[in-house]
Amino acid sequence: MTTSLRRLTRCAVLTALALALSVAEGLVPLTILFPLPGLRLGLANLVTVYALCRLSGREALLILVARCLLGNLLGGNLMALAFSLTGGLLALGVMALLLRVSVLSLFGVSIGGAAAHNTGQILAAMAVLGGRAPLVYLPPLLLCSLVTGAVTGGVSMLLVHRVPALGDIKS
Amino acid sequence: MTVRWSAADRRRPTPGDLLVALLVAAAAVALLLGLGQEGGNFLTASVVLDGETIAQYDLAALTGPVTLEVEGAAYPLTIQAEPGRIRIAESSCPGQDCVHTGWASRAGQQIICLPNRLVISLEGRVSNEVDAVTS
Repeated sequence: MTTSLRRLTRCAVLTALALALSVAEGLVPLTILFPLPGLRLGLANLVTVYALCRLSGREALLILVARCLLGNLLGGNLMALAFSLTGGLLALGVMALLLRVSVLSLFGVSIGGAAAHNTGQILAAMAVLGGRAPLVYLPPLLLCSLVTGAVTGGVSMLLVHRVPALGDIKS
Repeated sequence: MTVRWSAADRRRPTPGDLLVALLVAAAAVALLLGLGQEGGNFLTASVVLDGETIAQYDLAALTGPVTLEVEGAAYPLTIQAEPGRIRIAESSCPGQDCVHTGWASRAGQQIICLPNRLVISLEGRVSNEVDAVTS
């Protein structure tokens, strides 16, 4: 297989994986345990971290946008799309920056990403509602992102090290 | 060629991670303090649908339960107010986050139903002026 075809295939598989993770996560909502709007484990973020580390920023962005579009096409609405996109894009940007900080591991990167995702969602909610009312939810969401970020950080560390990089696969 | 970032190659958490976590926690605490939830004996709940206030309740003055059916919303819902607290009892919205939020009883709290663009916000005045206003 040529390299570009291989990359395309990998992007497609990762998009499908991200979609499946979002749906799986939706089946067991954390909000049942802890009623806080917007609280999620952020499993789909694993795919973003992996793509950032093992593919490139551009491909991570493509996967993210494709995931949000397809995911909301399947079972969402326009507003949900705006939410997942603002949160996802902000998380992607912050994680891309944090990955360049040499003193961090994927734990720190994921925590930063989770916090950015929540901040993005709250910003979107503020834009939709036209007021600062949703800001009340941000502090508890940020505190929760410490936990969810650490969990996804640990998993993404395993993922990035166990799943071989593109060049290492013999086809 | 795949770019390998140093952060991606680490297998253990670093002190830097702790710093990120502390920064996030500090931001949360700063926001919490900045928003300042004041308490008080006067507790008013305003129900705002799509930017328009459709109802207001003085929760402290309520004597019995009151229900409000919001039929005009995109996803009709039922709001229930009791002395000192308010909640969204039922909603036909897809997420049900607003129902899961449960009761709100403190000033500064919000119940939000995003699909409906509905916000119930609780406001309270600090009642330390009661002594002065005894007439």
